Parts: sequence; structure tokens; C-alpha cells
Amino acid sequence: MGRAPNQQARSRSRLRSRFALVAAGAAALALVAAGCGGSGSSSSSSSGGTKEKGGTATYALPPSSTPNYIFPYTSSADFSVVNASYLQDLLYRPLYWFGVGETPNYNQSLSVANAPQFSGNKVTITLKHYMWSDGQPVTASNVMFWLNMETALPSDYGGYTGFPGSIVKDIKVVSPTELTMTMDKAYSHNWFLYNELAQIYPMPEAWDKTASGPSHCTTTVSDCKAVYSYLDAQSKTLNSYASSPLWSVVDGPWKLSAFNADGHVTFVPNKSYSGPVKPTLSQFKEVPFTTDAAEYSVLQAPNSSVDVGYLPEQDAPAKPVNATVGKNPLNGYTLDPLYSWGINYYVMNYQSTTGNGPIIKQLYFRQALAYLMNQKSVIQGPLRGYGQYTIGPVPVQPKTNFLSPTATTGDPFPFSESKAKSLLTSHGWKVVPNGTTTCTDPSKCGPGIKQGQAMNFQLPFANGTAWITSEMTQLQSNAAAVGIKLNLKPEPFNQVIALAGGNCVVTKSSCNWDLANWGGGWDYFPDFYPTGEELFMCGVPANSGGYCNKQNDSLINSTLTNSSMTPMYTWQNFISPQLPMEWQPNGVYELTEIKDNLHGVTPQPVTLSINPENWYFTK
Amino acid sequence: MTIFLLRRVLQSIIVILLVTVITFALLRAIPGNPAIAILGPNSFRNPAAIAQFDKQYGFDLPWYSQYWLWLRHLLAGNLGFSWKLNQSVASLLGTHLPKTIFLVGISTILALLLAIPVGVIQAVRRNKFIDHFFNGFSTVFYAMPAFLLGILLILFFAIKIPIFPPEGPQGEGLGVVFTNFNALVLPIISLTLITLALFSRYMRSSVLDNLTEDYVRTAKAKGASERRVLIRHVLRNSLIPIATLLGLSLPGIIAGALITESVFNYPGMGYLFYQAALNSDYPILLGITIVVAVATVVGSLLADIAYAVLDPRVRYVSQ
Repeated sequence: MGRAPNQQARSRSRLRSRFALVAAGAAALALVAAGCGGSGSSSSSSSGGTKEKGGTATYALPPSSTPNYIFPYTSSADFSVVNASYLQDLLYRPLYWFGVGETPNYNQSLSVANAPQFSGNKVTITLKHYMWSDGQPVTASNVMFWLNMETALPSDYGGYTGFPGSIVKDIKVVSPTELTMTMDKAYSHNWFLYNELAQIYPMPEAWDKTASGPSHCTTTVSDCKAVYSYLDAQSKTLNSYASSPLWSVVDGPWKLSAFNADGHVTFVPNKSYSGPVKPTLSQFKEVPFTTDAAEYSVLQAPNSSVDVGYLPEQDAPAKPVNATVGKNPLNGYTLDPLYSWGINYYVMNYQSTTGNGPIIKQLYFRQALAYLMNQKSVIQGPLRGYGQYTIGPVPVQPKTNFLSPTATTGDPFPFSESKAKSLLTSHGWKVVPNGTTTCTDPSKCGPGIKQGQAMNFQLPFANGTAWITSEMTQLQSNAAAVGIKLNLKPEPFNQVIALAGGNCVVTKSSCNWDLANWGGGWDYFPDFYPTGEELFMCGVPANSGGYCNKQNDSLINSTLTNSSMTPMYTWQNFISPQLPMEWQPNGVYELTEIKDNLHGVTPQPVTLSINPENWYFTK
Repeated sequence: MTIFLLRRVLQSIIVILLVTVITFALLRAIPGNPAIAILGPNSFRNPAAIAQFDKQYGFDLPWYSQYWLWLRHLLAGNLGFSWKLNQSVASLLGTHLPKTIFLVGISTILALLLAIPVGVIQAVRRNKFIDHFFNGFSTVFYAMPAFLLGILLILFFAIKIPIFPPEGPQGEGLGVVFTNFNALVLPIISLTLITLALFSRYMRSSVLDNLTEDYVRTAKAKGASERRVLIRHVLRNSLIPIATLLGLSLPGIIAGALITESVFNYPGMGYLFYQAALNSDYPILLGITIVVAVATVVGSLLADIAYAVLDPRVRYVSQ
């Protein structure tokens, strides 16, 4: 999912210094256990007090974001972290859960189904014993309900990736607890689990209806359109959520007890929840905020009602280089940074019609630009230490086995004006520091580049995020030092996205742009396996700049069909230095503040999900 | 008077129609695809969703057809549906407008009630200490950005000395205001101080102008006391510019106070409009524009009527 830079997340994590070692050990044990097919999303906290049963935890929603769509089969317009993580996932559990500790790894314990069993091009899914709150069991038919909906209405699902339509040839409900799928060929187990099966939410039989009565989308694909229309309309009647006989049938740990369209939402435990961790709190409340400054005022007030909130980035003291977290300006709270499972970059248009397309196609030019992006300085400066490097298609933090060992050695393009200059001069350009670099030898500059052509580019970027503005200004200055003129143009996020968010040839939009930065890059959500088929392959709509390389396509295809990690590493090692986009740091998603007497909030997974069923107060 | 009113009403309808055409055209002139703005980057995974959105909301039609479609809905009482908030524009106005009117309305009334005596006292005690004091007061608050005043009030009266909550009443609709009025004190003070600074300066200036008029001298020559002259003659005439200000304040009362609403976490009309602009949520933008346009012409009309009431010369001219 493309991520909006102004879209804050929520987070929870907190390690008090005196308990850091214990908590870190607990987290490590949780990771090990999960790796062995065990334990849940973990709990945290070693705390000094006595665990209390009950209590109400109040959670600050991101600024100007409120949940507004309850039906998990969500269209692009409503497909957001706020709807998925803060509303739908608390009520309705996906078939497979992702997030172990801070990682996006598959969490067997919290999944509604057992781990899928692969055999050639067949996969068998067996359900655990979960119950809906209306007393019905969660069955394979409930899974079919979802799959039929995806088959009938692919355009209405925001996370649609072609599954199951183009790759699953046959689906059979073998028994109430078992379902088999036959694919067109054998796929990577990880890819199929993380990127395809990950999207399924079993839907209760109570939802298989239209305004005129019960329907049969569970068994008949052609019935799904009417069912969807009905459920979509119901989902747009926000103030009926808490009392709706539809939405009150849940299989998650929480039920709605109140829902106001303004963002005030109250959850109470679902007493029939079948999962391994039952809520300890008696209530979980979400409260909306207009701005992060308004939220911060509430956190600063004595006896603040907010238990989990966030520190505005601009109010965060700089983090020392080797520390996990910097000084917390708030008393009574613990600060914990949350990052999303994504990468950040600004895009270059290989299909540009401005005349600069031939320059952008040159690898030496892209590498020169990479040397001019000072990621270290941006992280330590405008990001105040709360940022991560992006050096390829796989996030470097948290550490996962998806990341190539080669990528763990650091930024392959550390800031260096001299290397940038050297790359340009060795390829036929006359570098004029603080002037305009021009091509003097077209045979070296590259095909399509003319004698005397200047390095002069328009670079619209999303305004409204302070660190992005600082970063762009710094890049402009660095580029000017080697005579590359970047004409910065701050624009609203939506305009930058509309201009450069998609492949202009495929989406038939204007290709009259060179570089663009919407500030947020790409989040791997809800398909958590960071393969490149949606972003880097020739001709895919989200391949903004239109980078196209047959070898790259072939390597990506290997990652989709081979379950070993070797093809993932081979692909990353190839694509990272190719710079299909220009990598830039990934800013923190949220600086979470957690009240000292609330525990279980940490560690926060990069999947941005929350599990208030793990939370508890201490006296 | 009836003809005057009829003429003004007809003019108002034309003005409102023109406002809708211009606003509609300007919104359509914004660069970029509204479908992508609404569906977000995620839409690029699924371009069919973009085409579906365009068809569903008429973006595949020429702009004039879109306008006609929208106008037909409007005439049928349908202000549209917010793509981003999943609520009808009418219901959004229904929840946000009363809160805004309450906050900005009370602040405006308070400011007016305070500005009249302050302006009169300043004028009567011109160049005395109290005049300088209120001059300094109004200059400070008139020049102070609303967000700074809001933050200072929160800092001193919600954080350092926690007398009031740091945010406005929370919850949907106007009911929450009455159950938690304490929370509305700081936002009201914030808006009142800024508006008071403006009104009192106008009032002072107006009273000063009137004090030098011939009719004041005549009244005094006839033996009227200072107090009587001030209250019966000067005050009434001095209120004319304030009537203009009040009339022009009506759209502001409807449109809300974006900064104050944001600082105090009290989402009203201003905040709703701002978010809609950021999200390219055209139905909300158009809906609020219509309401504010109506408020503007009504405000202007009320101001004209107030002139006629306050100043008989206006009535004679219109007759």
C-alpha cells in the first residue's frame, strides 16, 4: 500500500530502562518461540506493579484520521491502516496473522488457521476451532465467502493482487474445517502465504445476505455482487455500527460497544473469543485528534486521559546515535518509536517526455544522484535520529531473514560529491559546480543525450512534512555542487501522487515529468513479503517511473516460485544498486507514548497492528 | 421595503448560483485526478478501481454535465456524499455546524457585549490611561495569531494551572457541549479576545467620529446630560459600523474558526472544510461553499436591514 506521509500510525511500545534487559530477553524468547511455531504476539512487559484486571485504556488515533469503514472487504478509497488495524482487525480476524515482536513475520499462534500445508501446486488450509460471537463456528465456507467475493468483485478490494483469480485454478471445501486450493503452478510458500493467503478474512454466514434476505455468495459467485452492495451500504452507515446485527457478529477479541462517526470508538471484550490471548482490559477506547499538537497538549496535561498516544516529531529531542530512543519530554509516559514495514524513495521517470528520459535511463546518473542523497545527515538532522536507511527493496529494520546478507553491510552509496562528480565526468559531462553541468561527449553520455544538454530537472515533492522539505533542500544543494539543477516544487501530496504515483504509460496519464517525491515510498501491507512484482516489474501500474529490466523480471519471478531465500537475496543484490528509484530514508511512523502503568503494548510490530488484548494496567 | 427585500433576495440567488459555478469550475481545474486523490496510492495496484470511481461519481462526464448533475441533486436537497468520510454532506453539516455556531456565535456575542462599553470608554476617555491600556490590549490580541493564543491559554490554564481541560468538549453533536461546558471555556476565551480586539477598535473609532458631529453639539446645547447624549444619541449611531461587522461575521460564524478548532481538538466547520480541501473531497467543499455563500448574502442582507433600523436616512433613501 502506498503510504501517505501525513498518515501517522499508532504505536505502543515501551521499554523502561531498568527493565530493558528483561524485556529484551522476553522479546527474544517470543521471537524464538514464534520461529518454532509457537507463541503469540507477545507481550511485554516486566513491570514493577501488580497486574490489574479490568480498566479502560484510551488510545489516541492519528491526527485527522478516524475509522470509517467496518467491512473488511474494503475498497481502495477506505483501504487504510486506521480502518484495518484500529477497527476491522480488532473485531474480525484475518485467516493468517502477521507480526511477531517487531517483525512482520507470520504469527501462527494468533492465526485462525493452522499453517498452510503445501504439496506441489496444492495447498491445504485447516481451520482451528474458532467461534463467531453468534455461536456459529468459523468454517471453510466462511473462507469461501471471502474468496468468492474476490472472484466476483476484484475492483472493489483495495488490496487486490490478482488472487485468487489468475493463479488459483480450483478451490474445494473438503470439510467444515478444511479447504484446498490448486494453483496453476507451484509457488513460493512464503510468497503465497504472506502475499495471497494473508488477505483472507473469513466472513460469517450472517453477512451472506442482501436487503431482501439471505443470499448465497458462500457458494455462488454470481450472488456476491448484490451481497457486496448491501454490505458496502451498511458499512457506510457509520452510526449504526455498534447496534448492527451484522457487524456485531465477530470472531476477534473485541466487540463494539459504541461508535461515533467523529472517531470516538469504544470496544469491550468479546467473551466468546477463541484465540489464545483474552482481553484483560474491560474497555478499549479510541479518541480522535485534529492535529498532533492538540494531542500533545492532552498528553502534557496533568492526569491525561490518554494511555497510548504519540509525540509529535517536531517536539522530540534528538536521539543520540547509538541509543534506541532519545530523551522523553513527557513525564509519566515511556517513549517508543514505531516504524512501518516499508521502504522510502523518490521516483524517476524513465518514460519522461521532457527530454530528460535518456539521462534518467543511465545507471551512472542514478548512482551519481544516490551519492548526493545524504541519508545519514537526513536521519541525524531533520529526522532527529528517528529514521532508517533505505538501500534496496527490503526494509533494513527490523532484522528479518528476508534481507540479503549483502544488504546488512550498510549504505552502498554513502554521501560523496566527489564520487558523483567522477561518475559524471567519466561519462562525458562537463561538471560546473553551482552552475549547469552539460554533456560534452554524447557518445559517452549515453543514447538519446544531445551535445550541450543540461542537467536540469523539475522535482515536485509533497509539502507538509518538515523533514521531507529539509531533505529536498539539502539534496538540491548537494546536486548544485556538481552542477545538477533540481527545481524543487512543493505541492500537496495528492497532486504529487496523481502526477507520479503510477506508471504514466500504463495508466495513460501525462509522462511530462522527471522526478517526484511524495515522501512515503511504499509499505508492504497487507502483503508483507517484500517481493517486487507489484513495484519493480516491467509494465506494472505501480511501477511509477517505468523502470524495466528483463533480468530483474526474471529474478522477481524466481522469488515468487522458489521457496528458498536464495532467489530473494539474488534479486535484492541485483536491484539495489540498479536504483530503479532513488532510495531515501524512511522516517519514523510514530513516536509512541505509553503510560507507565500500562503494559503489554510493546513490542510494536511493523505491520502497524495493535493487540489491546495483550494490554493491562498495574497498580 | 418589500420591493427592496425581493430585489435583494433575487440578487442573492444569482450570486449563490454564480458562486457554485465558479467553485465547481475551480475545483475541476485543480491539477490531478480526483479518483487517485481519493483512492490513494493504493489505487495504482488496481487501475480498474480508478475507472470504476470515475464512472460512479460522474468524472467520466464533461464538467458542465457534472455541474448539472450536482445542481439537480442540490435542488432536490441532496448535498452529496463525502467520498473520504463515508457520510452524507448533510449529516456532516448537521454534526459540525451546530458546534461551530455555538462556539463562534458565543464568542462573537461576548466580544460584542464587551467591545461596546470598552470602545465607548476608550472614546470618552481618549488619550487617558484607560484608553492607552485598551489600545495596547487590542493591538496585542489583534496582532496575535490564533494558534499562539490558543497554545498559551492551554499552557497556562490547562497544563501549568490545570483549571480547564486542554481540549474542547469531545463527542458528536451539540449535546456534548452542554454536558462538558467547562471544556469550551478556553476556546471561547481564545476567540473572544481576538474578536473583541477587532470590535473594540471599530467601536472606539466610531464613537470618536460621532462625538464631533453637529447633532451632539445640538443635544448638549439643548441641555441634555453627557450620559443621555452618549447613550441615546452617540451609541446608536456608533453601532452602524458594528452592524456591518456583525453582518460580515455571519459567514465566519458558519465557516468556523479553523485554527481554534484545530488547537482545541474541537472539529467544526473550519476543520471539516480544511480536511476536505486536503483530501479533494469535492462534495464537502461544495456543500460548505453553498452554506457559507448563503450565510454571506443573508449576513449582508441583515446588515442592510440593520442600517435601515439604526439610521432612518437609509430608509428615506431606499423609499
